[in-house]
Amino acid sequence: MMIALLSLPALAMFVASFLHTPRARRFLPLSSVAILIPVAMLFFHPKPWRLWGDYLVADDLDSYVLLVASVVGIGVTLALLTLGRHVEIGEAAYRRFYRFFALFWIGLIVSILANHMGIYWIGLEMATLSTVYMIKTHHSAAAHREAWNYMIVGAIAISLVLFGIILIYASAKPVLGEKAMLFDALLAQAHAIPSPFLFEMGFALATMGMFVKMGFFPMNLWLANIERASYYPVAALFSGILESAVILGFFRFSTVARAVNEPHLVGFVFVYTLLTIFVVAFLIYRAKDFMRLFSLSGIEHMALIALFWVGGGTFAALLHFGAHAFLKPALFLSTGVLESRGRYHIAGALRGYRGFRGRLFVFLVGLFLLAIVSLPPSPMFFSELYGFGAMVDAAESSHHLLAMIGATLLLLILLSVIFYRFVAIYQSMRYEGEAEERPVYAAELAALALFAAGLLLLITPTAMEFLRRIV
Amino acid sequence: MVDLLIGIFLATLITALFTTRLYRLLMWYSLNSLSLGLLALLLGRSQHDGAMVASGVITLLLKAGAIPWILKRLSQRFALERRIVPNIRIQYAIMLVPAILVFTFYLAEPISHMVSGNANDVAISISSLFLALLLMMEHRNIAPKIVGFLAMENALFLLGTTATGGMPMLVELGIFFDLLMAIVVINLLLRREEVRR
Amino acid sequence: MSLYLLTILLLLLIAPLLLGTIKALKMWLLFKRPLSPLQGYRDAAKLLRKETVLSEEASVVTRIGPFLVLAPLLIVLFFLPPAARGAWYVSFVDAFTLTGLMALSTFFLMLLGLDGASSFGGIGASREAFIAALAEPAMVLTIFAVSMMAGDLGVGQAGANLARSFPTNHMASFLFAGISFFLLLLAENGRIPVDNPETHLELTMVHEAMILELGGVPLALVETAAAVKFVIFASLFASLFLPFGADLAWPLALALFVGKLFLVALVVALVEVHTAKLRLFKVPNLLGIAIVFAFLSLITFYVLGA
Repeated sequence: MMIALLSLPALAMFVASFLHTPRARRFLPLSSVAILIPVAMLFFHPKPWRLWGDYLVADDLDSYVLLVASVVGIGVTLALLTLGRHVEIGEAAYRRFYRFFALFWIGLIVSILANHMGIYWIGLEMATLSTVYMIKTHHSAAAHREAWNYMIVGAIAISLVLFGIILIYASAKPVLGEKAMLFDALLAQAHAIPSPFLFEMGFALATMGMFVKMGFFPMNLWLANIERASYYPVAALFSGILESAVILGFFRFSTVARAVNEPHLVGFVFVYTLLTIFVVAFLIYRAKDFMRLFSLSGIEHMALIALFWVGGGTFAALLHFGAHAFLKPALFLSTGVLESRGRYHIAGALRGYRGFRGRLFVFLVGLFLLAIVSLPPSPMFFSELYGFGAMVDAAESSHHLLAMIGATLLLLILLSVIFYRFVAIYQSMRYEGEAEERPVYAAELAALALFAAGLLLLITPTAMEFLRRIV
Repeated sequence: MVDLLIGIFLATLITALFTTRLYRLLMWYSLNSLSLGLLALLLGRSQHDGAMVASGVITLLLKAGAIPWILKRLSQRFALERRIVPNIRIQYAIMLVPAILVFTFYLAEPISHMVSGNANDVAISISSLFLALLLMMEHRNIAPKIVGFLAMENALFLLGTTATGGMPMLVELGIFFDLLMAIVVINLLLRREEVRR
Repeated sequence: MSLYLLTILLLLLIAPLLLGTIKALKMWLLFKRPLSPLQGYRDAAKLLRKETVLSEEASVVTRIGPFLVLAPLLIVLFFLPPAARGAWYVSFVDAFTLTGLMALSTFFLMLLGLDGASSFGGIGASREAFIAALAEPAMVLTIFAVSMMAGDLGVGQAGANLARSFPTNHMASFLFAGISFFLLLLAENGRIPVDNPETHLELTMVHEAMILELGGVPLALVETAAAVKFVIFASLFASLFLPFGADLAWPLALALFVGKLFLVALVVALVEVHTAKLRLFKVPNLLGIAIVFAFLSLITFYVLGA
């Protein structure tokens, strides 16, 4: 029953996509807001709640990620209303976009709530395939090429994840039988897995697949090009909802891997994420348009989240994740307005707005830009403080304190490169260049306000308490 | 008999790597899926596993019959080029394919000792995965990339069958469903191909 | 010992019959009035009566060449695995010796083609070298793989072992080696995917180009050599990959063996009718598959034990 309630907004969108009246789509944001009701029910029900046998189980982590993803979904639905005013899109393509968005949403809800590795994978694959078409909705040669690129690399990444899942299942099957596909059963019996090497190999492969999907090394520019070539709501969906599901999968797999062999896990993930952040920091320094800038910054934040989670700062990782999942889609949605006069007009992008809407827009975007580089009181500021602190705390008890401090210093240097670039961009947007009038519509402003409200809620003590209790 | 079918699986995949005609490529893929389906049927019958028999039948119908036919129709509708141009020259491919085989067999050695199924079959399915990856990357046309993706799914199915004695039925059904959706998406994606090539 | 000699004599005698059968089958499949399979003998008899005309540039190589083309193949006939249980056989000859002897025959054939100073001979010799360069390693690997699976490096002993007990747990390796060996059979004997044995067009000749200058007795010798080469390959295929029925009574076993040879001829005829000749620069693709399968067979057996 819960599953039906949760998929109701997506179904409404799917049905609405077949109607030929554009006005029917106006009420879609209302139906999307309706998803908050079952999500709220999830929060107040005793956990873990078995929604569908052992396959879909809602626990604290699930509910949090689902809440964040739902808010992003609502925001994007709001902003989609004005997509036609910022870019050229045909009616049929617009309707198909909604159809695939609905499929994407259902796939990801299934993925997020999944306790069964196979169900997780199926939902992720369904979401991946629907995004392929959403990228291609933009009828340009670049979008066509990037859609194929995405299909191929995405297919390889998802197959790697399936490969890893099969190996993990094979390693745990002697002990657990068919239950070896369930995350909670794996966690309970992690110490009893007969061949840890097989499990670790499966985990490494699945993690590599998930990291490639999130755009880590060596696929950084792949993701940036894809997001560049598609419409801005697609990029918002990617960084808000798809990456939430993928990082949730990473959280679950790594929790089991930590029980099997912690030093290997930490070493592997640390090297990978540090390498990624190193490369991405310099790519951000050279980014010249908004979409690439934001997608590369998204990769950097995802890498930080993975780093914090594995390094011991699980609370920091979750806080960072929530903040990023609100900030990044908000920034992507705002590029719809910021780029309405052309792509490479970074200078002066925040000048020339008039009226209450314009000024509110400038205020919100400025806030988001500065929040994403962890200026206080952004939740990212707190998450990075807690994260680095937890990492050093965890390292104090092991022999690797010096290595951890070195890693932290390196991270701080790289983050400062990014910080410098973002501040320079903000200043250029505010104070340089020509003031050109860019229209701002109520729908997308509402979406931005929603994300800002979500961010504010994250800093409140109740939210932080809740996050501390998870894991 | 199982060994023979797995041998045919790998043989058809390697032949698909060297072929230069589109319809031949589809035929090798169809034979590949045929051997896979027969293998699933045989194993399911010998282990009295109804789920595996069912997935074997679905594999035969879908992957050995429907999908190659659909791909052939798509290639006719969008007038895809029927000559497949390799990116690496044949001399290097002759050296690369055995190198990949040796490398993956070497990788699969420790795994095969830990898995309940037959060691060779696990190693062959892992090397099929890598060879399918090579198929995706080796040619310039679109069709080998699609067939490579499908062959990767075949290899993963084989791995699931031999390493774990069959994945749970729900997962198998989900994988089939996703494959169908992939074909739909490929159809939609090809809609622009007629302009390009 | 008498069975051994009888087998060799039998193989020698039916060699032209096999090639004639292939030709007749092809013509029948193409709805033409088939040639008699005994045409090979009639051609040999006719050629033995004809006079020999040599080119001005021909040296001593052209005079002794044909004999040297036939001789190594006749020696290989003595080293084949036994056709029936109880026959004597040579057990210590391995893949390298077999391949080397056949390569010696090919070498003299190439010299023969070059010696006449005609351009067709040159074309044929260079193309034959091109094909042989890829086919020889594959053959060594394939026969080596099968010998290892049968437990003895000597081909004769390997054939006898296989006839006694076929290792069914190595089916995958056998399959790969079988595919590779069949492709090599087509390549080394100049059959359709690689070379067209029936035309004398510049575009499609390899073997025919090298012997274009010959006539009379030398031509009869070289044609017999081609027939004997086919019989060698067919009999190797039959003993190594279809090793059943060798423990019947010797007349039956011999008859079954000859039946297997005709089966191979039938399959070759079917392949020839259904395939088009490859462009010369596409032949490496086909032989590449043969090499990869030979290699695959070897490592599947050695590394995995499959």
